[in-house]
Amino acid sequence: MTGAKGNRASLVLLVLIVVGIPSAVVGYQYGLRPALADHRIVDITARAPEIGGFSPDVVRAEVGETITLRFAADDVTHGIAIGPGLGIDSGHIDPGHVGEITITPDTPGIYTYYCNTWCSPDHWRMRGILEVVDPGAPGAVAEPSDPIIDALDAASIDIDTEPQTAEGIAPDRIRGRQSLAGVAVPPQLHDPEWRFSHSPAAGLAELQSANPDLGDGVLIDVVAYLWSETPPPAEIKELYAKNCAACHGERGAGDGPAATSTIEEPVAYPEAAWHRRGDIWYAKIRRGGMGTDMPNFGTIFTPEETRLLVEYLRYLSFSGR
Amino acid sequence: MKTLIDRPPTDDGRRDVLARMPRLRRIVLSRAFQPVSMLLLLAPFVLAVVAGLLGTPAGNRNFGIVFVWIVWWAVLMVLLVPGLGRIWCTVCPIPAPGEWIQRRGIMRGGAKLRTGRRWPRRLRNMWVQNAGFLTLALFSTVILTRPSVSAVVLIGLTGTAVAVSLLFEKRTFCRYVCPIGGFIGLYSMVAPIELRVRDPQVCVDHRSKDCITGNEYGYGCPWMVYPGKLDRNLDCGLCTECLRTCTMDNVVINLRRPGADLAKPAPGRRIDEAFKALIMLACSIIYPAVLFGPWATVKEWAAVESFGGWLIYAAAFLAATLVVVPGLFWLAVAWGHKGSGSDLPVRRAFNDYAHALIPLGLAAWIAFSVGFALTNGSYALGTISDPLGWGWDLVGTADVGWTPYLSGAAPTIQAAILLGGLIFGVRTALRIGLRHGPPGPAGLRAAAPVAAFLLAATLLLLWLYLG
Repeated sequence: MTGAKGNRASLVLLVLIVVGIPSAVVGYQYGLRPALADHRIVDITARAPEIGGFSPDVVRAEVGETITLRFAADDVTHGIAIGPGLGIDSGHIDPGHVGEITITPDTPGIYTYYCNTWCSPDHWRMRGILEVVDPGAPGAVAEPSDPIIDALDAASIDIDTEPQTAEGIAPDRIRGRQSLAGVAVPPQLHDPEWRFSHSPAAGLAELQSANPDLGDGVLIDVVAYLWSETPPPAEIKELYAKNCAACHGERGAGDGPAATSTIEEPVAYPEAAWHRRGDIWYAKIRRGGMGTDMPNFGTIFTPEETRLLVEYLRYLSFSGR
Repeated sequence: MKTLIDRPPTDDGRRDVLARMPRLRRIVLSRAFQPVSMLLLLAPFVLAVVAGLLGTPAGNRNFGIVFVWIVWWAVLMVLLVPGLGRIWCTVCPIPAPGEWIQRRGIMRGGAKLRTGRRWPRRLRNMWVQNAGFLTLALFSTVILTRPSVSAVVLIGLTGTAVAVSLLFEKRTFCRYVCPIGGFIGLYSMVAPIELRVRDPQVCVDHRSKDCITGNEYGYGCPWMVYPGKLDRNLDCGLCTECLRTCTMDNVVINLRRPGADLAKPAPGRRIDEAFKALIMLACSIIYPAVLFGPWATVKEWAAVESFGGWLIYAAAFLAATLVVVPGLFWLAVAWGHKGSGSDLPVRRAFNDYAHALIPLGLAAWIAFSVGFALTNGSYALGTISDPLGWGWDLVGTADVGWTPYLSGAAPTIQAAILLGGLIFGVRTALRIGLRHGPPGPAGLRAAAPVAAFLLAATLLLLWLYLG
């Protein structure tokens, strides 16, 4: 090859390398690959909230549109779930890996994609919004109201008031179940809705009125059983383990690995459960704790999941005591 | 192609490699050989930079980290330098843009840029390379793990090479500035490959000195070396231009005894070379201690997790590489030299004996690189399929998990390499001792403290690797 021809050929090769490689890389990622896909692909960078969280943190989709969300974990291991009510969980995504979630939402609404693997002290802030709109009824998607929280507001009940602690009370649901046959139980105590809106302490007062001859020890155990008689489903245990246990501990004792880094000491359920109403717990879970690190889970859990979670907290509170 | 002048083979144990491999000879003598090699390697280089700037910050999933600091580094230190000396400098893409701009051409230059200033005399040594290497070494934990920083370093090296090529003549960057070329040159003296003239007298008698001026077959030596006086690998970049330009066919690539450059008389040895050997040996001890050792705080300091911590690390690092290790070595040399009967100044002895550190230093780097490659090499499978950590799977290996190879055998392999380096180093020290002092036991006694220094360094390394 002559010098001039060789120079021209090598110059072409040089341009191909210096310009072609970056162009090919970027072009494939942002041009060809989305173009080849039969539906929309959204690349989302996932970092611990302290260094950026999700980017983008808002994704819009239409009802019936198939969309793939590709979460690239940039720093530490994350796990991506989308809620409420979608039951989507990517599992762990290690640094440098990409987890894909493909969905076709059929209901308009505001959904939340969030990290459900403890990734940093501010882990709970790692959230993004998936806004699903109905193309036939465009416009802002209204946040659904919550009748339980609305009722508490209407009754001017402050959900952030600290509950009275149950000193000297050590309820045991197993003993309560064994004692149940010998105790007269007012019918409202068998009503889940009544129990949900009343604390176990209130239930004890009802039992004391109906059983003046029985000692408080037996009645407390019976209340503990009644307030936790429904065994929690496995998925609620998992929900608790992934979202609550880091602060509140595996057994709800407020001793999770992240408990030392929260503004206030996380609630220990066995201590708080006796005087706490279920609906207040429900509201607190969904809305979050003002002035504390307790996040709002209303954008992640469905109301049904939240109620089951409240029952699980009762179960944790009264088990093995 | 120029005419091959038939000459008899040399008679000193050296074998002319290319004479035995005519196809390889044709390739090497082609003017396209070096530029095409550089262009081919420029492709992964550019990909490494792109991956570093745009790809995942997770180093173990980024081509820019895995293929530069695991694959390339291991290939360089385990295979290329010990086996083929400066062969990397032949094909390195970093100086290529600068050289091509300087020559105004890739395969064959047009009108050269009117630069050609000579590098300042005071800097015609390895001190700039030493300083550059130490600067990179101080941040190595960050460079080795953060793709964007690694990319900036690669861009910085290339930019510096372009700037130096625009301001100064030929491969001034490679010869006097490149922090990588410095230690490659040092350790290439161990390699069993050399570029030399077959008969120095032919060069003396040959007036046109095409190897310096260049001719229609190639450029004058870009490394500013006169092949006729070349007696060590240190300064020859194996660019092979002199093989092309020598009309007397007097330049050859020899297969030789490994380490042939180390113990022979070489009056040109300088203290900057000695410090290069000492810095490299010290770093070969510090790196495994910091990266693999149990001292988490030191690792955090090295990773610049706090500026104050890094300052402590930097001070300790520089003290170890520039004061403590050289100081101890000076004491060892001076102790042996005293009473040896040699009339050489201690400083000359220091410069000479420092060459006994080169085999051990290289062995330590090979041991380090072998361990590093065996432990982390499996990351290459993932990144070849997904070079930017964007979720691609080009060749179906993106999800191959991390698998350390030969983890049980690695310490034994490393120990064997280190012991080989120790034996090689001690042998070199003894040969230098015999050359310096009076023949016989006195010369060996002079080298004994240096041998003890080598033994101590080896024991320290063995402790780090074997625990």
